[in-house]
Formats: sequence, C-alpha cells, structure tokens
Amino acid sequence: MNARTSVPPLWQTAPLGVRSGWVSTHGPCSVHLPGGYFRSVAMFRLQGSKVLAVDMTGDAVKAKNGSMVAYDGQMAFKKLSGGGEGLRGMVTRRLTGEQMTVMEVKGHGTCWFADRASEINLVGLRGDKLCVEAGNLLATDAGLRTGTTFTGLRGASQGNGLFTTTVEGHGQAAILSDGPAVVLRVSPQYPLIVDPGAYVAHQGNVRQSFQSGVTFRTLLGEGGGEAFQIRFEGDGLVYVQPSERNTIAGDV
Amino acid sequence: MTFREINSKMVEATVVPGQRLFSQRGAMLAYRGQVSFTPNVQGGQGGLMSMIGRRVAGEAAPLMTVEGSGTVFFGHGGHHVHVITLSGDTLYVEADRLLAFEGTLRQGTMFLGSQGGVMGMVRGQVTGQGLFTTTLQGHGSVAVMAHGGVFEIPVTPQHPVHVDPQAYVAHHGEVRNRLSTALGWREMVGRGSGEAFQLELSGNGTVYVQASEEKL
Repeated sequence: MNARTSVPPLWQTAPLGVRSGWVSTHGPCSVHLPGGYFRSVAMFRLQGSKVLAVDMTGDAVKAKNGSMVAYDGQMAFKKLSGGGEGLRGMVTRRLTGEQMTVMEVKGHGTCWFADRASEINLVGLRGDKLCVEAGNLLATDAGLRTGTTFTGLRGASQGNGLFTTTVEGHGQAAILSDGPAVVLRVSPQYPLIVDPGAYVAHQGNVRQSFQSGVTFRTLLGEGGGEAFQIRFEGDGLVYVQPSERNTIAGDV
Repeated sequence: MTFREINSKMVEATVVPGQRLFSQRGAMLAYRGQVSFTPNVQGGQGGLMSMIGRRVAGEAAPLMTVEGSGTVFFGHGGHHVHVITLSGDTLYVEADRLLAFEGTLRQGTMFLGSQGGVMGMVRGQVTGQGLFTTTLQGHGSVAVMAHGGVFEIPVTPQHPVHVDPQAYVAHHGEVRNRLSTALGWREMVGRGSGEAFQLELSGNGTVYVQASEEKL
C-alpha cells in the first residue's frame, strides 16, 4: 500500500526531449524557478537507451573523453584538464583519485555520445546536487558545476575510493549504468538501503550512512554476500543498477 | 524479407528451396525443417579469383552456405544484430561483422586505397579496417552485428556526418568517406580529447553507428 514508490525512468514516462518529463522531486531539493532559465542550452535526448543525442546551437557540453560516436554539423573537441575545474579542482582530483578525463564539445549540430554500450539515464537538475562516481558520468551541460566530495566509508566499500564527484546547478546530466537503472525515492519515512556495488548515483537532500551486517557467520566465511550496505535517509532519489560491481563487500 | 528480428540479438531466416543464404560459420543457433549447412571454402561467392582476393585481403571470414527449406535462427557472441535491406545499392561492411546475408547479393572486396588514395589506406589502418573492406551489392537483406545497439544516421549533401572510427559499423548509398583529423598541439603533448580521428561521410546515403567504441 504505502510502499516505496519506484519512479520509472524518464524515457518511459515522457516523450524524448520534453522538458516536463523531468523527475520532479518534492522537498528541499526541488527549487521551482521561473521558466526563465530555459535559455538556449544544449538539448539532451535519448536515442534508444544506449545513445545520447545532444542538439547544440553554439553552446557547449562537457562529456567523458572519447565518448563521441558521431556528429553532424560543426563540432570542436577540447580536453579539459582536471575536469574543467581550474587548478584547485585538478589538484583535488589528482589527490582524491576521482580523476575524470573530460572534453568540452562545442558547436552547431547534433552530437551522439555512447560508452561501451552502457545504458544512459538523463537527470534533470534544478539547483540540487547529484553525486555520482566519476566513471559513471557521461555528459553534463556546460552550465553545471562539478566538484569532488568526501563520502566516508561508503566509498571504500564500493571499491571506488573515498571520494565522489558532485554535479550542481541547473541543467541536464547523463549518467551511465550497467543495465537499465531504477530510480528509487527516499523519503523521511522510508529510508533506503542499497548494495554498494549496485549504487550508481543519488540526488537531492540525502544523508548516507554505512551499515554492516557482519556477524560471526561472516567471519566463518558463511556470509550471505551482503555484509555491507549503504543507508540513505532524507528526501531524494537514488539510482540503482541491476548489476553489481566487484566490491570487497560483495565477497564477504 | 528473409530476415526477421526476433529480439535485439537474434534473427530468424526463412530458407526456401532454390534460394541460398550465406552466414558466418558457427552462427546458427537452431533450425526447423530440412536445412543443410555446408562450409564454404571459397568464403563467399565468386570464382577462384575472388577467393584468392579475399584471402590476400584478409577479408576471408569463414562462411557457410545454408540451403533447404525451413527456418534458421542466427546469433553470435551476444552481439546486437541489425537487419539492413538493400535495393540495388552497395553496402560497405567489415567481413567479421557479417552475420548472414542473402545469396542474391553480390559479394566483393574493395581496396580502400581506391577511395581516396593514400589517405584511404591510412584511414583503413586507423579504423582497424585494414586495407580492404567487403561490399555487398544487389537486392536482398543483410544481418550485421554490432556491440551495443545500432542506430542509423542519414547522410545528405547538406549534412555530412562525422563518425568515430571505432563506432562505425557500415554504410550504404552514394557516400564518400574521408578521414578527417583534428590533430592539434594538444594531441602532441598527450592532452587530446580522444577524438583526434573522425570519419567524415558525405554524399547521399545512410551510415550505421554502434553505441560503443569496442570492436567485435
């Protein structure tokens, strides 16, 4: 009855490229701005579930290095050292191991992006923050700010370090998942617990904590393979993929 | 149409007496009816000269002839399969991407140097196509494999299309292709955007692109 609502992925609910198809979240993360910010930004739309098409009219997007598969019109590709975050960001990324090689794509026409046949999910950001692993981020509007944050123990259990990439601002981002991702809502009454290996990204005002179900059985090597989990509390969305990365947590 | 897509990774082909199919050797998954599979030493159609040509060109994918009456299911390596129907024009595709094609199509080998001279040869090396590519011409349908899904981009004289060489699958129609380089000082110092080489396709036709940068 009052179970967690699973938000269907964007591409099933809304016709491609329709702005109103953005997931609307309630709570502190949904800042409904007056329509003014829909300036002529790059239009992200999905072509199938594995190809992202971006229509550009002289503006720019940031994308994972080498992820362009085709384009028409005029495009220029430029590598942004350190994710385009300036010298400080570059040093931070080096130190935290959250390095991402990002290129800036600028021009007129349509550019298609894909990465190793991974599924692509569109995320609309309206002033809230998206946390995603650097390797799972395919493309962002140039207007979005990217940065790094400390994630605590969760990162270590996921097998991808203690830091994660954040995307903030107004615009769209495309994230990669191994298999079609489900978007699960976290609300104050309903915290969500996720396998670290299946976690892809989260968005909104969400606190995360690390929980372990290690018992004497685990120590004897008789664990159920689910010894560690991430617990999300607050208000927001969590993206979960139907596949598990190899993590330390998955082995015990 | 001979080929019917059952799901994204399997095709069903109808075989009737008197009509042959060629398929990649070992790509049959199941069949119904009276169907015989004979390995094709020549690796395709044409006489002895074509066979030698293919061997020399390294475009000799092991093929088998499928004859009889019934239905055959094809699939290979879990790759996505895409059916392309040709009506008199020529399809350019790598031999190892061919899953199956109708016997009504004429198979040939094309020297990449004949399209763009030395640059054509360089292009073949960069894209991993080698110096030769396979052509299929006539009326019929072809099942082509790709990693990830395939999507088509129309090429028109006003809209040339640029494709990442690793994501390029095939093209057909009156299309000229050319390797365009965007080499700058950034590439020289190892700061490239990973998009230094692109295939520029112009003219009139269709290009097929896969959603991945992995070769088969």
